[in-house]
Amino acid sequence: MIQVLLVLWLAMAMMIVFERKIAKIIIFFGIFSLITSFCFLLLGSPDVAMAEAAVSVFTTIFFVVCFEKYHNLGVDKTTEPPPKLKVLTFLKTYTLPLVFSGFLFMLFLYFIPEYTVNTYLKTQYIAMFARDVGGENVVTAIYLGYRVYDTLFEALILVVSVIAVSHMSWYEGVSVKDDTDVEIDGTEMAIFTLRIVCPLLLIFGIYLIANGQLTPGGGFQGGVVIATFFICRYLIYDIYDIRIGRIIRIEELVFAVTTLLAVFIVFLGASAYMPANYLTIFQDVYLVLMNALIGMKVACAFFIIFYRYIGIERK
Amino acid sequence: MNFEIVELFSIILFFISFFGLITSKKALKSIVFTLLLQTAVVMFFLSIGFGENILPPIGEYVANPDYVHRVADPLPQALMLTAIIIGVSVSAINIVMLMTIFRKHKTTDWDIIKKENMG
Repeated sequence: MIQVLLVLWLAMAMMIVFERKIAKIIIFFGIFSLITSFCFLLLGSPDVAMAEAAVSVFTTIFFVVCFEKYHNLGVDKTTEPPPKLKVLTFLKTYTLPLVFSGFLFMLFLYFIPEYTVNTYLKTQYIAMFARDVGGENVVTAIYLGYRVYDTLFEALILVVSVIAVSHMSWYEGVSVKDDTDVEIDGTEMAIFTLRIVCPLLLIFGIYLIANGQLTPGGGFQGGVVIATFFICRYLIYDIYDIRIGRIIRIEELVFAVTTLLAVFIVFLGASAYMPANYLTIFQDVYLVLMNALIGMKVACAFFIIFYRYIGIERK
Repeated sequence: MNFEIVELFSIILFFISFFGLITSKKALKSIVFTLLLQTAVVMFFLSIGFGENILPPIGEYVANPDYVHRVADPLPQALMLTAIIIGVSVSAINIVMLMTIFRKHKTTDWDIIKKENMG
């Protein structure tokens, strides 16, 4: 099963490499991400598969918005490539890189040592996670308990990314009607579907966050799904009534609270002082709270990046 | 060389996207290839300890000694979860930089941009 999928995966990658039209590359990349997510599921990691599937939606949206901005900003002055590629120029442009990367591949295969996978940490985590962190999902227990420092670092990277995007993008002066309930013309069918799907997305995101410690899912995946809910809302009403500056403040506040909570509970070891009767309740509350904070953080970050991309901002 | 098939395929994808990065002239293609590179690395890490009939590390059965050798390794999964989100945020910054470049130079061809910047 997984061999067939992997062959398809590589074929999709080859199609992306040798495709010349950018619009086709974006669509192929979406299909590639879908196959990747299915492969992750077969590798026994539903959490990562869900994250990849949710995140590939956003990469596709980003690329499509970028591609649309090309045409809004002006004509690409690059001369169109000749319709028929000559054999000699093809060889010139592709042979040397092909030989070089093939040589590196062979070097890699030759020098890699024969190794056996060390499973000490895996057995330790699986044996101890129920007592140390709680919950039933080992992956959640690791990224919220044993390696919470990585999660904080990831949240910090998201903050930096939001700052960079809002600093580098510009205000185009797009005219926005004030609080008018204008619908986009000619797409009633899509909007009707979105109206039905939209609340389900929000419920699904909250479900993923609330059950993150028991089932596949968690803060990252739920946050991305909630961000897609807000994007659907934008697509339906085509109005802008949320202030970006306020959302940036909320995001920074949530990041601060997340850091403080993690420092207080994990680094200071607050669960060691809890009486044994209340320990499981305490652990469950910590996991749900932390997942909810991370979900809010991720949702805010993706929402801000999307709104800066479409270039609509009320002064 | 005792590679699993998944590891071998992810290494091949790594070098395919490396080849694409060398040969691509358009800036947006370069961003797509960095994402492909990241996917290859994620797949390589997740394939650690891959075997037939592998089980996800979720549920009460994982600590059961009958199943523990079939359960997938949870540590790379937790690390790759953060790596995927970081990859998307980095590519978001890349795309904004690309749009800024396009507004200034009206092209995304690396050669023309280089020529215009040199004067």
